[in-house]
Amino acid sequence: MNIENTQSQMRKGILEFCILSVIRRGEAYPSDIVEEMKAANLNILEGTLYPLLTRLKNADMLTYRWVESNSGPPRKYFCLTPKGETFYGELEATWNELANAVHALTKK
Amino acid sequence: MKKIININFHSRVIPIEETAYEILQQYIESLRRYFAREEGRDEIISDIENRFSELFADKLKKGAACITDDDVNSIIASMGRPEDFEADDETSPTAGASQQGATGSSSATGAGASGAGTSGAGATGASQQGGWQYNTAEPRRLYRAENDKILGGVCGGLANYLRLDPAVVRIIFVLISFGWGLGFLLYFVLWMVLPTKSLPAVVRKRLYRNPDDRVIGGVASGMAAYFHIEVWIPRLIFALPIILSVISSLIGSAFWAHAHFHYSSPEFITGGFGGTLFIAYIVLWMVLPEAVTASDKLEMRGEKVDLESIKNTVKSDLEGFNKRAKDMGKEMGDRFKEMGPQIKQNIQTFSSETGAYARKGGSGFGHAVGVLFKAFFLFIAGMIAFGVTIALVSLIFAGDGILDLKSYILSGFWQNFLAWAAFLLFFLSPVLALLTWLIRRITGTRSRTHYLGYTFATLWVIGLFCFIALAGMVMNSFRSRQHTEEEITMSQPSQNKLMVRSAPRSGRVYDTDWWFNDDDWDWKHRAPFYIFNDDSILLTTVKVDVLKSDDAQYHIKVYRFSRSDNSRTASELAQQISYPVQQSDSVLSLPAGFPISKNQKFRNQQVLVAISVPVGKRIIIDNSVRSFRWFNLSGNHRHIHWSDGDEDTWEDQTDLDNTYPWNSNVEYTMTATGLVRSSRKDREDSEKPEQPERPEQKEKAEQPEKKEKPEQNQNDKQNSDHNGYRYQGPEKPAHKNNSDSPAIKSTTMLTVPYRGELGLLTALVHTL
Repeated sequence: MNIENTQSQMRKGILEFCILSVIRRGEAYPSDIVEEMKAANLNILEGTLYPLLTRLKNADMLTYRWVESNSGPPRKYFCLTPKGETFYGELEATWNELANAVHALTKK
Repeated sequence: MKKIININFHSRVIPIEETAYEILQQYIESLRRYFAREEGRDEIISDIENRFSELFADKLKKGAACITDDDVNSIIASMGRPEDFEADDETSPTAGASQQGATGSSSATGAGASGAGTSGAGATGASQQGGWQYNTAEPRRLYRAENDKILGGVCGGLANYLRLDPAVVRIIFVLISFGWGLGFLLYFVLWMVLPTKSLPAVVRKRLYRNPDDRVIGGVASGMAAYFHIEVWIPRLIFALPIILSVISSLIGSAFWAHAHFHYSSPEFITGGFGGTLFIAYIVLWMVLPEAVTASDKLEMRGEKVDLESIKNTVKSDLEGFNKRAKDMGKEMGDRFKEMGPQIKQNIQTFSSETGAYARKGGSGFGHAVGVLFKAFFLFIAGMIAFGVTIALVSLIFAGDGILDLKSYILSGFWQNFLAWAAFLLFFLSPVLALLTWLIRRITGTRSRTHYLGYTFATLWVIGLFCFIALAGMVMNSFRSRQHTEEEITMSQPSQNKLMVRSAPRSGRVYDTDWWFNDDDWDWKHRAPFYIFNDDSILLTTVKVDVLKSDDAQYHIKVYRFSRSDNSRTASELAQQISYPVQQSDSVLSLPAGFPISKNQKFRNQQVLVAISVPVGKRIIIDNSVRSFRWFNLSGNHRHIHWSDGDEDTWEDQTDLDNTYPWNSNVEYTMTATGLVRSSRKDREDSEKPEQPERPEQKEKAEQPEKKEKPEQNQNDKQNSDHNGYRYQGPEKPAHKNNSDSPAIKSTTMLTVPYRGELGLLTALVHTL
């Protein structure tokens, strides 16, 4: 068993949940999402974020619109779709269950 | 000091160092490969590029003059490299099971949510796979290289496993594929069995093709860069077979030119060796990647290699290789055992992979097929090129027969010069251009300029002008036609019957028979010339016409014709024709031909023997004279040749219009209305029983009366060595007797290649 391997697997599962929660608070620009997650001490590579966003968007969880920026070309701002909202709801419920279970088990 | 280039990057103009640009390009390319099978690949890449462009713009806004390597590297670090993604990215594109993108990931998270680990088989399966792929502590495994592939990445993966240059593995694969066809099978099995992975490069230095300095494919130049040697060394090695064959041809022709020996083509000496090198070049061309980017070029040169380091590398490589090969064998065994179920999955992956290829409109699979086709066509083109090269070499160097024939037609420096120029430019340059075009087309090489095309076109046009000029000059030297006329004094045959036959040629004559080996072929009888040696050819443009005599006597007139650029030289040339007609009572012997020398040139010299037969007397024309009708190009041959203004109107002075057609071996009687057959019995039918007796008959008839022109006969014999032929006594007819002339064949020493062309040429000149 390899510690890094396990760690990365633990992180993987929650990544989408975290991203969706950031977007849910309001339209978000990918680099903002990275910054916000960094601030919460959850490091993610931008290169990983873009494919994830695209996949979620292709699964109709997310949508985006172009926002003019004052420096250069327009940026993509992402927001949740209704489907994404329900998806997020399910994930949140699962997370709470999981967190409680883990908490209950580890703090015993 | 670094070069800065401006790029238009997502609608921003970015000044960037060239090296930084290379890094960026490579990074984007690695992403492209990583996301190769991702549905939204283009969008992802575009997003990332957009971000890059934004960050670049920020940098520039803050006052940076340009984007440097460091800038790009730091952005790449924050973006992450494909290798880093796999740690984070649960739906790694390499996990064949989770092709469905977001659907896959959602089901995976869903499963993970519903019960940690128990029912989450899909998710754990996928992530485990992603895990051990990334895990370096795991024993090394054989993969197909995702990022370094020509077809399926099998060779790249093998090379990675064995820590060899992928080119080496590919060469081996190609060789065993060409050798036994086994390679293809093995390759496809491995393609199906092995999983893919983006593998890091294990070799610091790789063999590339160098596009900057190339003659054909840049192979030699790439090798030179790899081994740090002068570029001419590998080039020379590759070109050696051609050079060798040229040299040996030269030596060969130098040795054999005078003997006129039909030497075996020199390419046999070097053919095997040259062929191998040629194939090696083609294989390398196919297999080696082109060094496109700056880092490719760095990799191409690598660190300096001297003999010591090669020795060390080879030594350690071989040691390691043994072990690794053993490991690999073991692992393959294990793999196949444990892989029963997994193969199934892999085959599914394979089919989905190929399916994905097909779906992408052939970008992937199409490329694979393209490479196969390229290889195939390269092979074919290579063979063609090889063949053509060899043919040209042998044509130029073995075909000095052409030179001999040429010198009968061409005169003076300019005509020879033009002939060579026309040959090289008009005929060879299109061939070369076609080959070049083919090869460039196949390899997809396109130059922005059309210099090559212009060059070839110019050369060809020059060649065309040379050809036209040459044709004009040659035609000019055939412009005027003159003739001489000579009445042969003859004694009237005693039996009121004249037998016309061909004077047999001597054994020393260089017959064309060896070329065809049987005399049944009619071409021989239509050939405008029989024989030629160093300085003369024997023209057989002799015709026999039969006319009605005005009086009661046989008359024989010999007309000699020649063409030239003016009438004076034409009649001189006509005069020079030596055509001794001999008569001995009833037998008229006509020489089979007349020699012309190189100095005289071939100017369509012709001889017409007009035999006037008085009414009531008979004539029989022997089968050996059968071919004495000049050319049978057209039935109406009398009217083809002379009609131009500059011609002498000799037929007006004679009554040659009233000639009668004749068949050989038929006895005719002249009547007031023309020639009629003497008997109903066609002697042609009974040719065979008659043939053996005829020579005896004639010899008997001739012996006592052989009085006319014996001196001339002697002279001919004396001259024969000079002229290369001689007349001997009429011991046998020239035709149909080749079965008993092995001596002729064995003494045949000269080649008459390309006579067909000359025949055509002369025929052409005739009709002009």
